[in-house]
Amino acid sequence: MTEGLAGFLAAYTAEAEEHLAAADAQALLIDASLRKGESNARAVRELFRALHTLKGLSAMVGVEPVVAVTHRMETALRAADRAGGRLSLPTLETLLRGLQTVASQVRALADGRDAPEAPRGLLDALAALEADVARADDAEVRLDLDPAVARSLAPFEVQEIARGARAGRRAVRVDFVPSRERAEAGQTITTARERVGRVGDIVKVVPLSVAATERAPGGIAFALVLLTSASDEAVAEAAWAEPASVRVVAAPRAAEPEVNATRGDEPEVASLDVGRRDAVRVDRARVDAVLDALAPVFASRARVSAEVTSLRAAGGDTRAIAAALSDDARRLRELRAAVLRLRMVPLAEVLGRVNLVVRGLQRSSGKLVRLEVDAGDAECDKVVADQVFPAVVHVVRNAVDHGVETPEERRRAGKPEEATLRVVGRQRSSAEVEVTVSDDGRGVDAAAVASRAGEPAPADDEALLAMLCRAGLSTRASASAVSGRGMGMDIARRVVEGLGGALSMRTEAGAGTSFTMRLPTTLSVVDVFTFECGAQRFAAPLSAVDEVIEADAPVRGPSLGAGAAVAMVERGGAMIPMVDLEAALGMGDGRGARRKAMVLRRGGEALAFAVDRVLGLQEVVVRPLTDPLLRVRGVSGAADLGDGRPTLVLDLAALREAVGGGAA
Amino acid sequence: MAEVLVVDDSRVMREMIVACLRSLPGAVFTQAASGLEAIERLSLKRFDLVLLDLNMPDIGGVEVVEFVRAQDTLRALPVMVVTTRGDEASRERVMAAGATRFMTKPFTPEALAAEVRGLLGEGAGAGR
Repeated sequence: MTEGLAGFLAAYTAEAEEHLAAADAQALLIDASLRKGESNARAVRELFRALHTLKGLSAMVGVEPVVAVTHRMETALRAADRAGGRLSLPTLETLLRGLQTVASQVRALADGRDAPEAPRGLLDALAALEADVARADDAEVRLDLDPAVARSLAPFEVQEIARGARAGRRAVRVDFVPSRERAEAGQTITTARERVGRVGDIVKVVPLSVAATERAPGGIAFALVLLTSASDEAVAEAAWAEPASVRVVAAPRAAEPEVNATRGDEPEVASLDVGRRDAVRVDRARVDAVLDALAPVFASRARVSAEVTSLRAAGGDTRAIAAALSDDARRLRELRAAVLRLRMVPLAEVLGRVNLVVRGLQRSSGKLVRLEVDAGDAECDKVVADQVFPAVVHVVRNAVDHGVETPEERRRAGKPEEATLRVVGRQRSSAEVEVTVSDDGRGVDAAAVASRAGEPAPADDEALLAMLCRAGLSTRASASAVSGRGMGMDIARRVVEGLGGALSMRTEAGAGTSFTMRLPTTLSVVDVFTFECGAQRFAAPLSAVDEVIEADAPVRGPSLGAGAAVAMVERGGAMIPMVDLEAALGMGDGRGARRKAMVLRRGGEALAFAVDRVLGLQEVVVRPLTDPLLRVRGVSGAADLGDGRPTLVLDLAALREAVGGGAA
Repeated sequence: MAEVLVVDDSRVMREMIVACLRSLPGAVFTQAASGLEAIERLSLKRFDLVLLDLNMPDIGGVEVVEFVRAQDTLRALPVMVVTTRGDEASRERVMAAGATRFMTKPFTPEALAAEVRGLLGEGAGAGR
């Protein structure tokens, strides 16, 4: 890294992710155009720009593996741009692989690792792309434009105007004249461009020299050329101009009987292109710093509470102070909620990326899938969104590979050849979001799954899902290239449960399958059980614990997993395996007698962890352990319970993995 | 006091440039996130130096340079293009459009500071 710029790495990864999101959106637009047999010169140029910026930025901070990929992609895209935006589907496919590689490199950096080198094969494939571009044909269109403006329009922009006119939209020009007074009032070319962009699609903004007058003190004006269906008044108002000054550049023509659709037909994809205009970009570490600063406040409040309780026990009148304290608590909770909201990202942003996945799968599987993505206004923490995305991808892959039939099969079954895959995100409450992936495919064949598992047929969908989630089990005779070995369901479930969420499934033979992931909107504040084991204090999320039972009279058994002492204990009339917590964490031999056991809520069969004493229930701010040296399997973070001593927060699902699951 | 306009659509890049130049005595930095914003700011206030990226939305750096050179009031303004495009053709195009200097990214803070110091020194008597 260039010396002195090391501090920019965090900001770099944040901005790099934005450029990648922009690049993804443009790639989708190009794909949509290519499918209609059109090129999309603007999207090619924007994709080029995003990669070029990313390359320059990466070179500055010295992230060479990203430079290697983006440089080659940029070269290919510049050639395509010069050819009027022509590029082929296979070329786009290769570019998408490049984007995915860069995304994983940036993720690695964000996680504090080095960016991995791109595979040689990919670099070679990207380098070979340059030649693979065709020449564009420049349509002749006559425009009623000031020559100074007309000169600045590229051929593709002229074509864009012509296509817009064919689609029944007007191309108009409106001028924005900057001045110091206007700038002070927030009326700048930047804000004017944003406002005008809301009443139409801006084709080009051209700076013009004008005579310096009182109205145009800077001697310049900006001509905004846009395609719009809005009135002159609306356009003028957006640019803070007079309605009479709006000039028509190209009038709409009657739609020609032409198969080629136009930009107007791409609202679903195009909407991805719209950034959140009012957004302020904040490095996540800064938000986390606020949360960190907040945690001790919660802790000291708990201390004050304890003092008040003992004061009351000693006969003191604590009503006034208790009321003030509870007021305080409420405000503190509101403040914390406000800080947590800063970390929220729209679910739509995350789920929108599924488009790319499905598009690639369609080509490799030969199946026809129409994807509907709808996330409404649902939001969740960026960490939750980032972590759950791979699980969503697994489930989507499964749906296309296993759920959806081939076009022939579907025809024979009397279904439309094109399957429908719906990915829906919903805000269930301020604390919970739900992501559902449903297909109208063949449904899960319970009998086939049971026979492969060598078990009796499952009683219901829940049992079927549990069977599906055993690693390595596939209902297809051969591992397909699409999903790879196994179903990936075990991975999806582990991710969802690791986040404190739950995965469920409903399936109907011949009609389809739907998977639902319920997820917490945020990870940072959780209700925990606090308890002691081997003179150490721990916390575990309430959501992970089903119940706490008496651990007396365990039946000792053989050692299980990594030397963790295991026993059987009675719960509700059945015997379930119980692992000593201390031993599972590798902190003791686990042969000591414990009094309580926490039974795990989800995933496979019940498993209990033996502990000494349950201390209580508490709401805590969990800080993740980011130092890799401190990372211990089964420990998800640390929390301050109120006395200033850090307490380890356990990830019981991971701990269960560590001791060998529930397969005792 | 030298007024410097830093034009780049990448916020991180702008901040890195400003960080590299913070040691220059008396320099005041204004940032612009697009070529359009740069032209607007240049028309409304006097600047002593522009550091300009090439690759930006709407209008790129070359168009900004061409436009600036066509304005009577801005003809003599020093403009240094700072770009990732290090090839000779880009350089020629930019210099032909009227840029004063051309520098490629990545650069070291020292190299950038030296260039800027030179340009501000030259521009001091260049009358506007």
